[in-house]
Amino acid sequence: MGAKVKTMDRKGASFQERLYLIEIFKGMATTFGHFFRNLLDNRKLYVRHYPEVQPEIPVRWRGRHRLTTHADGTVKCVACFMCQTNCPANCIMIEAGERLDGKTEKMPVKFKIDLLECIYCGYCVEACPLDAIRMDTGIFSVTDNNRESFVLELPELLTTPGAFSEEEYKKGGA
Amino acid sequence: MSLLDSVMIVVRVAFSAFIPLCFIAVCVWMERRGAGYFQDRSGPNRANIFGFRAAGLVQNLADAAKLIFKEDVISGHIKHKFYFVLAPVIVFFTALVSFAVVPFADTLVVGGKSYIMQGIPLDLGILWFLSFVGFSVYGIILAGWSSTNKYGVLGALRSAAQVISYEIPMGLAIVSLLVVYGTVNLNEIAQFQGKLLFGFIPMWGAVLQPIGMVIFIIAAFAETNRTPFDLAEGESELVAGFHVEYSAMKFAIFFMGEYVAMFASSAMIVTLFFGGYQVPFLSTATLIGQAKPVAFLLMVIIPVVMHFFAGWIRRSNVSHYPRENDPRVFEATVYIKCLWGLVIFLEIVLLAILFSASGGATAHIFVVLLQLCTFLVKVTMMIFVYIWVRWTLPRFRYDQLQKLGWQMLLPLALLNIFITSAFVVALS
Repeated sequence: MGAKVKTMDRKGASFQERLYLIEIFKGMATTFGHFFRNLLDNRKLYVRHYPEVQPEIPVRWRGRHRLTTHADGTVKCVACFMCQTNCPANCIMIEAGERLDGKTEKMPVKFKIDLLECIYCGYCVEACPLDAIRMDTGIFSVTDNNRESFVLELPELLTTPGAFSEEEYKKGGA
Repeated sequence: MSLLDSVMIVVRVAFSAFIPLCFIAVCVWMERRGAGYFQDRSGPNRANIFGFRAAGLVQNLADAAKLIFKEDVISGHIKHKFYFVLAPVIVFFTALVSFAVVPFADTLVVGGKSYIMQGIPLDLGILWFLSFVGFSVYGIILAGWSSTNKYGVLGALRSAAQVISYEIPMGLAIVSLLVVYGTVNLNEIAQFQGKLLFGFIPMWGAVLQPIGMVIFIIAAFAETNRTPFDLAEGESELVAGFHVEYSAMKFAIFFMGEYVAMFASSAMIVTLFFGGYQVPFLSTATLIGQAKPVAFLLMVIIPVVMHFFAGWIRRSNVSHYPRENDPRVFEATVYIKCLWGLVIFLEIVLLAILFSASGGATAHIFVVLLQLCTFLVKVTMMIFVYIWVRWTLPRFRYDQLQKLGWQMLLPLALLNIFITSAFVVALS
């Protein structure tokens, strides 16, 4: 079976195109059309007025991380180290400890995520066997003045709420 | 030397020195907002003073404040610090001085004396401009060489080769133009263009020398290092080219020099090809004779234009998202009131002209102001063309640039000289 070959016309060989100026004027007419349209009515600019108008975050967007909890508020994570092992950026640092409330045997004593190292790939979410870590907070803008504040600790990870309902999140294909 | 003489000297020197400097702000503003609108985005529109953004002009103040307070670095590896500092000065100075010979209004006759409205009343005119534009590339070469940086040297070499290639077609385009005008004095050139061809077409250089105009404009783009000929600072291959080692105000001087050069060469294109300060269809003599009807016409036109402009401001200067007590509406109201105040001032001035003695000094000064405004409007339109081309065309490849200069523009310019000379000889 021979490959299908489509021959494209080469542009720029005709006399009119080789004069160059005519083509330049055509291009300039196009750009001026845009300029004039926007000058007459600046609502037609393709611009989101960002800090005031926030973008719509879809459910599958990988935002800042959070740790989920059981219905009674205890942490779901069992410190299995799956996410830390999977992390290509080595940004997760877990310290495991004994769990005394009878739910499981282990729980994280420390759970740190360095957001400056994180590449937001979402492998931690995929690796987690217990759906304990999610990236559904919808927070996309992480800013601060010093490096230390970019390292998320366990309390902060647990208290950050998700931006979507459980049904929406499940439907989003996670 | 009477008091009037001194005042006239101060006025015209001040004009030719400060108008290019004021136009830096206008050019940068036009460039950034224009670029935004060409690309369907809005450009800088947030910087403000007490909520007044002046359509983005306040951004210039912010930029200037930033550049002034940045650290002015001279790297340790730079051996020739004097030349390193001298380079931006040369670029800026030559650009500024090249504007000095451009006439911005017709010769003013007051009290039996005539005053040539140029910064430096020289007869050299176009030659002065050519020499200083050619000299400005020394600043770029010096910057590239003294910064002891491969990128810098490459950018400087490109710029040097480019200027050599394009100075020749530019000079030849001017030769054919001089054959038509028969003078190098820019004021006489502008006066020549006040006449009418066949009684109804303004005798502008653009009509008499269309090929010369195209060549001159292309060469002027190349001389000012603007896109599509800005190979000297091609970011993609040379980082920043000749100004790679410059920071803070030294960089700002290069930056401002570029815009002053743009203004000066726009002024030169307007003077040579678009009638200079001449109001289309109205020569200086006609204007002085008919000062009152013209003033009356302006008194009618200005409020009408202002009315529509105010409507446009009101429509454009609003927030495009739900906002309680939109401060931009108040902002627009203030702008419109200020502009109406300006219009009322202009109306009073025009009324004074209407009631002054006809044909006197007032009429002469009125005509000078009118021509000055015409000149500035034309120059602003030419600067817009510069910006328009920049945001339309991609950069040339280096061999394409040289090919265009030597194989297209040079023969075309020579051919143009032959044809023009034949016409002029046949007609005279």
